[in-house]
Amino acid sequence: MSARSGLRKWRPGGTAVLAGALVLVGATAPDASAQAVGRAAAEALEVPPLRFDPPEPELHEVRGVPVLFLADPGLPLVSVFARFQGGYGRLGREAYAAGTALPTLLRYGGTTTLAPDSLDALLEYFAIQTSFGGGGESVFASVNTLTEHLDTALTLWGSMMREPGWDARQLEVWRGSEVERVRRRGDDPARLAYSEFNRLLYGDHPVGWEMSLDDLRPDDVSAARMASVHGRIVCPGNLTLGATGDVTWEDIAPLLDRMLAEWPACGEPLPPSPEPRILRQPGVWIIPRDLEQSVIVMAHPTDVHLADEPEYYAAQIGNSILGGGGFSSRILSRVRTEEGYAYSASSLWTTPRRFDGIVGAITRTRPENTVPAIRLILEILDDARHTPPDDEEVGTAVDQIVNGFVFNFDSPGQIVARRMFYLAQDLPADWLERYLAGVQAVTPESIRSVFADHLRPDGMSILIVGDPDRIGADDLASLGPVTVLDVDGTPAGSR
Amino acid sequence: MRRPLAGARAVGLGLGVALIVSPGLGTAQEPGPTPGEALPVVERTLENGMRIVVLPRPGAPTVAFVVRYAVGGVHEHLGTTGIAHLLEHMLFKGTTTVGTRDVEAERALFGLMDAAHDTLLRARARRDSATVARLDERIAALEDSARVHVVGNEFDRILTRAGAQGLNATTTNEATIYFVELPANRTQLWFVLEADRMANPVFREFYSERDVVTEERRMRVETSPGGLLYEQHLAAAYTVHPYGVPVVGYMSDLETLSRADVADYYRRFYGPANAVVTIVGDVDPDQVFGWARTYLGTQPRGEEPPPVLAVEPPQRGERRIEVVWDAEPQVRIGWHTPDIFHEDAPALTLLSTLLSGGRTSRLYQRLVVEDRLATEVFTSSGPGVEHAQLFAIDATPRAPHTTREVEAAVYDELRRLAEHGPTEAEMERVRNRAEAGSVRRLQSNVGLAFQLSESASLFGDWRETFRLSARLGAVTADDVRRVVRRYFTDVNRTVATLVTEGGS
Repeated sequence: MSARSGLRKWRPGGTAVLAGALVLVGATAPDASAQAVGRAAAEALEVPPLRFDPPEPELHEVRGVPVLFLADPGLPLVSVFARFQGGYGRLGREAYAAGTALPTLLRYGGTTTLAPDSLDALLEYFAIQTSFGGGGESVFASVNTLTEHLDTALTLWGSMMREPGWDARQLEVWRGSEVERVRRRGDDPARLAYSEFNRLLYGDHPVGWEMSLDDLRPDDVSAARMASVHGRIVCPGNLTLGATGDVTWEDIAPLLDRMLAEWPACGEPLPPSPEPRILRQPGVWIIPRDLEQSVIVMAHPTDVHLADEPEYYAAQIGNSILGGGGFSSRILSRVRTEEGYAYSASSLWTTPRRFDGIVGAITRTRPENTVPAIRLILEILDDARHTPPDDEEVGTAVDQIVNGFVFNFDSPGQIVARRMFYLAQDLPADWLERYLAGVQAVTPESIRSVFADHLRPDGMSILIVGDPDRIGADDLASLGPVTVLDVDGTPAGSR
Repeated sequence: MRRPLAGARAVGLGLGVALIVSPGLGTAQEPGPTPGEALPVVERTLENGMRIVVLPRPGAPTVAFVVRYAVGGVHEHLGTTGIAHLLEHMLFKGTTTVGTRDVEAERALFGLMDAAHDTLLRARARRDSATVARLDERIAALEDSARVHVVGNEFDRILTRAGAQGLNATTTNEATIYFVELPANRTQLWFVLEADRMANPVFREFYSERDVVTEERRMRVETSPGGLLYEQHLAAAYTVHPYGVPVVGYMSDLETLSRADVADYYRRFYGPANAVVTIVGDVDPDQVFGWARTYLGTQPRGEEPPPVLAVEPPQRGERRIEVVWDAEPQVRIGWHTPDIFHEDAPALTLLSTLLSGGRTSRLYQRLVVEDRLATEVFTSSGPGVEHAQLFAIDATPRAPHTTREVEAAVYDELRRLAEHGPTEAEMERVRNRAEAGSVRRLQSNVGLAFQLSESASLFGDWRETFRLSARLGAVTADDVRRVVRRYFTDVNRTVATLVTEGGS
């Protein structure tokens, strides 16, 4: 296909490009008389230009809160999004349960003036959809409503965020469910593997925390504790808003102003996010379970960060080639397609904005293939450090991003949510265009270089949930020092 | 749809359609024409019987493609279970030109591999493990030799480079569905590749891909307590109908499926008359139909798939099974109910929402909030849609409560519904929920493509999906009470519980 050379000629120029027609690849009209199919026919196709004016959200400010707005009159619906910068990770372990419960209780705990049942009845009567979520670093919420009920929807949704009721029964339902979840954490081998792996690598850092019964005493999610955590996170000083749908800015601005007018300012400022100290210790950790399939996770720390830097882009494309790019990537091609070891196999490379991340791989395979699959993955990782990828591999990874660029604009909600993320991460408004240019500048040698600098196959911490007898003790030991763990992550026999 | 009431209004969808929304209180009405039926969908049937459904939509220049073959688990027989799903995997392996450097050299090796596999199966039957091991190695070595001629995952790679999103497929009891989204300027590329895949598939890397499918089964069923419980529950509930057999197949069948089995299955069931192609997005229908005729119209018509005539006999008493697994308890309760074409289907759909749709639903309120017997409860109907279904309630008990206590509370709620029926306020809540959902579903190209494709394939008419939504609005509280009384009886019930060894 002639796509790539054409695409490389296009260089985004910030808002000027976004405001103008997006033209990808110049070519002639398709030949409808062609009947040939297959590879040669695919390669011979002329790709017509893709004309598109990507919509650009407007950035407003209401009572000091940034609001990204994009009108979309397609359907009689409006969506509003809220993102609060801050989560339990900033407040310490004693706020872990309350911080984790926060999104659920905002949705289901009622308000100071509406009991949970009354609130649900109103939301359902007006067919208003809300969602609440969050984690250690942020809390987010959204509302979706038929346009004619926007006023009511924002009144209710604003009240849910601003004046939560902390209904005692709902608090107890949450706590009871979480206690049951703790009891069941060994039931799903994959969930067990991933949470134990985080605990192993991150230790007493929010990423490594796993809920325990000690976190879940009634006082840990009392109304007072919830209110204290809420007052420091879900408040205007931490808030970014986004709105899209069948509404004008003139119509929605007063409604947002009213929602924010009565909202108390944030309480005591949140402390900065704690810096992780990620374990750097090669070896094998196994949680023995009598299973027909082992779950394997391996990784070590790296210091490539989300930034407008060549190294970051090289890591992105490199990870796609290694195992993040699906069937075209090396790990899936070798582990699944060629060897038939696994249904799923991939690399992972996290690149947080400010702190270190991890690089490694994940797969699942039958017990007898566990060590061979691990060895194969380590071999693939080692090879990546020494041999640059070929042009075809780099081309595939880059083209996937460049030709699929238009999907970044598939829905107005997606466009607004992405810009909200950029604001929260302190990324420039034209980050997507910079990213596009950055990945197109990646070369095979820059990928080899980032692998050589940051990938250490012999430094992997490898965690396995599986049957040690069928995996083979000697084979396991050949990978490094082996530690047997209990289900709760403590070394077996140490209690 | 329901009669619009106070507060309702007509609005433009930007699709040439007036949509009426009415979230106010109201009473059930007879269904009339629905707004979805006015979508500018264009449908054509090619001379070979393939149906093409196209919906042009404004917005970003992207297109969703869905190809639905009306074949799945129910068309399988014991001994070759899992074949539809394995074939789904094999159709990503390329063609006579895609994925190969020398297809004839590959085919020469296929013969040697397949002969070794036939011999291996006979050795396995006589428990000759030494020969089995030797032949396993021989097949692996031959597959390695063939791999020299293979361009790995080239079908995927061509589409990935073109910017494809979500390239995948899924196999259900009644259908095998291939789907992808592409930038709009790659529409012709999709035709070139899909037509090639239909006409010239090559089932290369067969034995390693079969191993991949066994790993998928290990992941989804054998190391998943929920997956295991689901499979065993269906096996207990269905004694005759193929709904009792897992779509992923039994392990011993997967280990014996041959390349010839898959090729034969493909020839019989993947004919154009058994396929619906649905395309939604930034396309010109005339141009799309031109390409459809050019690329897909030349495919041979193929055989008519044999109908599935098996009928599950009426259940004559409660069935209870236990599944032993090293995990905390779960319970799954099922009742036989009719297929989705039956007049009771809309009432059963609303019943499902009434029982477990959201936090205000009856079972959530009773089990999770009031009695705190469970942490989760949900309902579902399946495992397919075209044949008599099983209406299932899954619940996760909250310690120290038992699955028996959960069961008792579920039966009590059903008894209350059978005696008194739902309240009018409850009915309005679930109708509103269904109606708002039908508007929100129009937001995604790929979601609409799935919806139109299923409707066209199952009902012979893409509009039927919208009529079904409207029919929900006509369900009355008495209808719900009637279906609870009719189907939710003790003798029609199958209960599966997950227990630990020696526990309960």
